[in-house]
Amino acid sequence: MVINALHILATGLGAAFLTGLLDEKRNGLAFMITLGALAFMSAVSAGWLVLFAATGAHPMDIQTAGTPPPFAIALRMGLAEAALLTLINLAGLFAAMHMGETLLARGRRAMAVLLVMVMALCGLVLTRDLFNLFVFFELIVIATGGLVLLSDDERAVSAGFKYLIVSQFISVLLLVGIVFGYHATGTLNIDGMAEQGSGAFALAFFLILIAVAAELKPFPANGWALDIYESAHPGFAALFSAAAASAALFAFDKVLAIGGAEWLPVATGIGIVSFVAGNLLALPQTNDRRLLGYSSIAQSGLILVAIGQQDILGEHYLFIAGGLLLSHAVAKAGLYWLSGFVAGRELTDWAALRQRPLLVLAFVTGIAMLSGLPPFPGFYAKWELVHLLANEGRLALLGWILFGALVEAGYLFRWFGYAIKRESAHTIDCPPDRVIPVIAALLAGWALGFAWGELSGRSNLLLVLPLLFALAFLLLEWAPAWLKNTLAIGGLSLYFLQTWQDYDPLRLIFLVIFTLGGAIIFLASFHAHGRRIGFYPSAMTMFAGMVLLLQATDSFGFFAAWELLTIGSYFLILRGKESEPHALSYIVFSLGGAFLILAGFAIAAASVVTLAPSGAVSPAPTFEIASLATLAQPVAPWVFLLLAIGFMTKTAAIGLHIWLPGAHAEAETDVSPMVSGVLLKAGLYGLFVLLMSMGRQSLYGVDLVNLMLWIGAITALLGNLMAIFQEDAKRLLAYSSIGQMGYALFGLALMNHLGWLMALMFVINHYVYKSMLFLSVGGVAKRTGTRAMYQMGGLITLMPLSFIATLVGIIAMSGVPPLSGFGGRWIFYNAIMDADTRLPMVLIFLSGPIAFLYLFRLIHTIFLGQLKDEHRRLKEAPLSIVLPQMIYVAILIGVAIFPGLILRRVDAYISQFLPDGALNWEGLTITSQYGWWNPVAIMIVVACIFLLIFGWLLFVNRKAQKVKQFNIVFSAERPYRPETTHFAWNFFAPYKKAMGFLVQPFVTRFWGAITDLLHTAGDLGRRLYNGNGQIYAFHFLIFVVVVFVSQLGM
Amino acid sequence: MVHVVMATGFLLILIGFYGALTHRNLLRMIVAFTVADTGVNVVIVSVGHMRGRSAPILDRAVAAADAVQRIIDPVPQALVLTAIVIGVGVTALMLAYAWRIYRQHRTLDIARLTALKG
Amino acid sequence: MVKRLVALALLAVFGLVFATLLTGYAPDAELNQTARYYAERTAADLGAANIVTAIIVTYRGLDTLGEVTVLFLAAAIVGLVLAEGAHDRSRMRPPVGELLTTGTRFLVPMILLLGAYVFVNGHLTPGGGFQGGAIIASAVLLMLLADPLRHFSHRLISAIESLAGILYVAIGIAGLFLAGGFLDNRILPLGNLGELASAGAIPLIYSLIGLKVGAEFSSMLASLSETEEP
Repeated sequence: MVINALHILATGLGAAFLTGLLDEKRNGLAFMITLGALAFMSAVSAGWLVLFAATGAHPMDIQTAGTPPPFAIALRMGLAEAALLTLINLAGLFAAMHMGETLLARGRRAMAVLLVMVMALCGLVLTRDLFNLFVFFELIVIATGGLVLLSDDERAVSAGFKYLIVSQFISVLLLVGIVFGYHATGTLNIDGMAEQGSGAFALAFFLILIAVAAELKPFPANGWALDIYESAHPGFAALFSAAAASAALFAFDKVLAIGGAEWLPVATGIGIVSFVAGNLLALPQTNDRRLLGYSSIAQSGLILVAIGQQDILGEHYLFIAGGLLLSHAVAKAGLYWLSGFVAGRELTDWAALRQRPLLVLAFVTGIAMLSGLPPFPGFYAKWELVHLLANEGRLALLGWILFGALVEAGYLFRWFGYAIKRESAHTIDCPPDRVIPVIAALLAGWALGFAWGELSGRSNLLLVLPLLFALAFLLLEWAPAWLKNTLAIGGLSLYFLQTWQDYDPLRLIFLVIFTLGGAIIFLASFHAHGRRIGFYPSAMTMFAGMVLLLQATDSFGFFAAWELLTIGSYFLILRGKESEPHALSYIVFSLGGAFLILAGFAIAAASVVTLAPSGAVSPAPTFEIASLATLAQPVAPWVFLLLAIGFMTKTAAIGLHIWLPGAHAEAETDVSPMVSGVLLKAGLYGLFVLLMSMGRQSLYGVDLVNLMLWIGAITALLGNLMAIFQEDAKRLLAYSSIGQMGYALFGLALMNHLGWLMALMFVINHYVYKSMLFLSVGGVAKRTGTRAMYQMGGLITLMPLSFIATLVGIIAMSGVPPLSGFGGRWIFYNAIMDADTRLPMVLIFLSGPIAFLYLFRLIHTIFLGQLKDEHRRLKEAPLSIVLPQMIYVAILIGVAIFPGLILRRVDAYISQFLPDGALNWEGLTITSQYGWWNPVAIMIVVACIFLLIFGWLLFVNRKAQKVKQFNIVFSAERPYRPETTHFAWNFFAPYKKAMGFLVQPFVTRFWGAITDLLHTAGDLGRRLYNGNGQIYAFHFLIFVVVVFVSQLGM
Repeated sequence: MVHVVMATGFLLILIGFYGALTHRNLLRMIVAFTVADTGVNVVIVSVGHMRGRSAPILDRAVAAADAVQRIIDPVPQALVLTAIVIGVGVTALMLAYAWRIYRQHRTLDIARLTALKG
Repeated sequence: MVKRLVALALLAVFGLVFATLLTGYAPDAELNQTARYYAERTAADLGAANIVTAIIVTYRGLDTLGEVTVLFLAAAIVGLVLAEGAHDRSRMRPPVGELLTTGTRFLVPMILLLGAYVFVNGHLTPGGGFQGGAIIASAVLLMLLADPLRHFSHRLISAIESLAGILYVAIGIAGLFLAGGFLDNRILPLGNLGELASAGAIPLIYSLIGLKVGAEFSSMLASLSETEEP
């Protein structure tokens, strides 16, 4: 049983009038009436929502005055209306709660204004009468004018006046349009007008449409809105952004229906310009509320684009536009309410939120919703929107949407980084009437995520077990770290045991690394004390993303998993002490890559459909990953290119690598191996999948795979080269990872059997030795308190286990016998012989010895040489960090002796794709067409040689005299920069002279220039808004004229 | 005849707009807006006018039976009332704002109220 | 100067738009479908002689409720804005003059009567609640002119305003239950066309509107008069 929707309006009005009856002093009672009325209005709306959602009933028309439309005003209640009303009324209720203190101080009049505001927003959504729409618009204008005054900020008054100025212009145009529209059609009913079409009164309709569009605060006619966003009470700003913008969008949609399809491009045009410009202008903002305002404008623009594209969205229209709208509304309301907790107005002041993890969760939820990340509605909506756009070939629009979204993610995550890493002097107090709205927004966000997952018709991400397991850690934040760590290890191991039979050998290798490999690294996490808040949900989200990536068979699952692992790893990386800028560049690059992948999938999906023989009418927004193979010219190479760049962003191919060194080096001790040893493999997995399904592609005569080969070779060379000049041990390892990924990329791009086998060897080996080295170096850094190698030395006797691990690691990595690295090299050289690309090969050969140059420094500088005075009392790294290293040592030796254990099966599996050149496995001997290799024999030979030399050295030096380290006298001078006197500082200076030009940070400068360019563009754009309300009126009129002229031109 | 009235209305709108765009004094801007509002109201009324017909009130002069032939379109008349009242409300609000602004900043110059920008 | 030129250029475009509208406008020869419906059906359906009033109060009653609310809002906000400016008004002021004082005493009752007449007869003659309310408020203005220090009870004004508003909404809701829909005037008998007690709830509603509008304007005037710069 639902209550007539008119009662919503009547309740709002009645309560507003009722407050006038109360004594001026009885504000408490008036406040209770206000809350009660808003709660009742919310309940009625929610009742309708449930009705429509549960039964799928048709929209209902509600007559007034006992007379049918168009002769009396009629209202309509449908699913969209009910959803919006619920949103508006709840936003109103929580806004009232948030503003409680102010409302009580200002008295019943303020409450009445708030009630009328909410009522008018509801009316705007419900009414089907054009003039009635105008009346509600004016009510909203006046109520806004009143509510703006509730701010403590004195500047709000002038902001409100600027708004009134523009509103006057708007209402004149609207009225003129309406009355001529009425003259032309003889009706004021929107549906009646829509039936007749706007052909007869195009000019009048233009005036109506542009006036309603102006209420959406389109760029550049929005200076007044930004001033309101910045200066208004945050409780009201939330209502203004969440409820008022949503209602206005809905009204625009209604009005647009009159004009029909020919006016849709106007909506799209205004929308995309606002979206891109709003985001660009947000980039240089430092005031939190103004930034949110710009973001609101951008989001409204995006929804406007969806409205403008409704001709191709079809049955998905509500799902897409609604998903974007609700995501934005809930997130924005939550963020504005959150800003009420933060005392300062700088973005960095949000660091105060860290005092309350719950508020941080609300913050991150809001940001994820705005950025369209899974599992929130914006993610599903964006997926559908992008696919439908690609399906219609509207690629330019698609590109601009993704560009704007990336910029938006950039400034939002920069802000989040501030909140997590900066310091704030302010404290936060949490009165319940302010916390409740934020929690409501938080819960609503997750609930909407669930609902959209259900509606999507795809797998609901919030029902996917690995992700649920990760999210469960949010509820366990109270527990001590060791307990959560045990659970994490258990979960990963259990997942492996449960699922490993389901995978082919190739995926199995990745599965082992993603689950068991992760579990081993988690052993090191036992060293952490306390609760380690935020670590486990992030880490487990990353692992969930990775295992889901392996599970995924269709493009949607693949992309969702990709985004999950990206987000999870971002939070992990951000935890490092100095990692704020690096985490930011990581997430921007990763999301950029992800958007390319999304675009690639969308374009592919469009073609998969046209190829489908069954004559499927509706486009299939997802497709089996394997059917990438069926793509034909001319789409295939473009898809290949997009996907390849997307995946190479993750593997940090040269040019896209600048995020990696900082991100990996600054991460916590146990996080570095996770993101280096484990996470990088996700990118390689993507490349494997891509090459397996699409094979060679060429574009304009350029063989793209060959291009990848070159990129791989150059990456290997430059990555290694950059590594040798590092002073920071973890940075050194990070650069080395770039080089190593270059090798793997090279191997893959060889497109022959052995090349792939070698790439897989790299997948395994790189995981093992990079994790091990990061752990041992991390352990050393933990003990010494520095990562600069020249500040260490002689630690071999104090940290012998770490030394052994490092030694074994660099032997394995540099590819000298007897460890597994050699096996990799051997396969590698065989693979190169197989291919006919000689020049990049030379580069690869070159990078081998270069790798040795920096690897040896790890031993030489850290463990050998003289012990520093301040390090004399150091102990071995904690057991929890050493233990996994010892496991890796065992694995490395095992793999070295029995490489066939794993590779044999993979070898056979690869034969499916590349049958030629398989290896011949006989007992312990492996034969290729160029020669044979017996790991055990090599091991024995090397051991003999080593023992011989070692014994000889012992014999020769038997008479050597031991010298105590400190029995020499230092000179009295104290150098200005002590490190310059250390022999290990700037160790390879001669090489730097020779080859330094190769490691100039060209790429960093390039991306820096791009960022600067965007910032400059944003800064220039900001100058439009000079604060003068009259100029804003000019903006509005210019906006009208520009749209007018461009519409005439079309 | 109707066209003349309507043209007057449009002219008033343009005059009002021009005033609001060029005068920097808040009170003058408000007056300009009331001029524009009046123009709109004139336009609305003129749209409903029909030559040779009388007001839409049924009395001895206009019987209910032949009202269809005798009266002008009543709808714009109803709309204009609403428009007028809303105009009054907005004007009152703007005046209150102007008063408040003057109290706060001791100025009525719109170009000086630029504390918020960018 | 540049500003004026730009303004002129922009307004030229708007002038063009308006000119196009103007030249494209041709007055109707016959009533359009909506107007025809009102002309034919108002008397029979709603029993109101003044068709405009029937449209305002009933057919488009929701607009009018909104309209009343606009004034309510404006009054509330003006009160909110000016509340902090209210200050001691006990300063001596020059007397306003015999003529004005006596005239006020003479005129106020008549103005009030005229206002009431206008809104009570809104369904029969030109005029109605808004006009009547404005007339009533003019009486208040006159009293304020005659005696600027006169204190009006905000509480009384807002009680009248609120009560009228609540009753208005209540009558609207009664239409939902007793007649065809929200604000349907047929909750009361329609009576005979042209009589005072006809047109169902229209006179009642218009009277409430008259009171409410009068109270709202009075409240704004009172608030404004209480804020004077020292």
